[in-house]
Amino acid sequence: MFVVGTFYFFAIFLIFSSLSVIFSKNPVNSVLFLILAFLNSTFLFILIGAEFVGIILAIVYIGAVAILFLFVVMMLDIELIDIVFSVKRYIPLAVLFSIVIISEIVYLTVVKTVKGNLVLEPSSVNNTESIGDVLYTKFFIDFQLSGIVLLLAMIGAIVLTHIYKPSIKRQNISHQNSVTRLERVSLRNPKNGEGIDA
Amino acid sequence: MLSISYNHFFILSVILFIIGCFGLFLNRRNMILILMCIEIILLAANINFVSASIFLKNLDGQIFSIFILTIAAAEAAIGLAILVVYFRNKGGIDITKINELKD
Repeated sequence: MFVVGTFYFFAIFLIFSSLSVIFSKNPVNSVLFLILAFLNSTFLFILIGAEFVGIILAIVYIGAVAILFLFVVMMLDIELIDIVFSVKRYIPLAVLFSIVIISEIVYLTVVKTVKGNLVLEPSSVNNTESIGDVLYTKFFIDFQLSGIVLLLAMIGAIVLTHIYKPSIKRQNISHQNSVTRLERVSLRNPKNGEGIDA
Repeated sequence: MLSISYNHFFILSVILFIIGCFGLFLNRRNMILILMCIEIILLAANINFVSASIFLKNLDGQIFSIFILTIAAAEAAIGLAILVVYFRNKGGIDITKINELKD
């Protein structure tokens, strides 16, 4: 009973916050509601016993992605754009879309559904341990590939946003090392009472 | 006895997916909201994967959810980088102005 109530609470909250993401005018509000949606789905994951994915969702999405969004939104100084939506233009697309989705829902919830209710049984191996067991053995290649994807994303983001300005002075180490004494200092012998013309 | 079945989670993820797709059509001008809608769609996929993994007692769904998370993070980073560059060049993020290849 507690599980069912908690599920409905978080599910309704999740739907509400994701509706607010797409309907709020101010992008900052949208990002904050997105964070709320991620937080709710974290609670849902923890509720059904997938603690590792839930916590990773909180760390990665809330801690990195949503904060990145927030930085960009605050940096870009975006004017508020009114929602432009004409219902008539999208009616054929909407009908097609809803037919496909409703038939999929009916097929998957009635015909090919996964039977059985949620049983939360204490097990000897916890969730994180069992994920670690297969992640580094069965899915080793995929794990490495996802690392490469992240590296690629990092390099791509740096290359895209990097600005090259010729006016900025940079350290050129080989140039520094190839300088000789004669280029920098010279020996003068000033007379008494006179300076040195530059 | 009330209890939760897989269908609850399935319908929840379908609702989230539809909200994300609807947002893509609704906010056709603000590029950052389009990226956020893609995040919602990926979250719906994640919920579906994880709940199916729990109810089928098979861990592969949770592993794939972690991979989806990785791809989503990469996509958000690249998308926001493109957004920043676009804003720098155009002074706005109105995507209806991306039609210069037409001329």
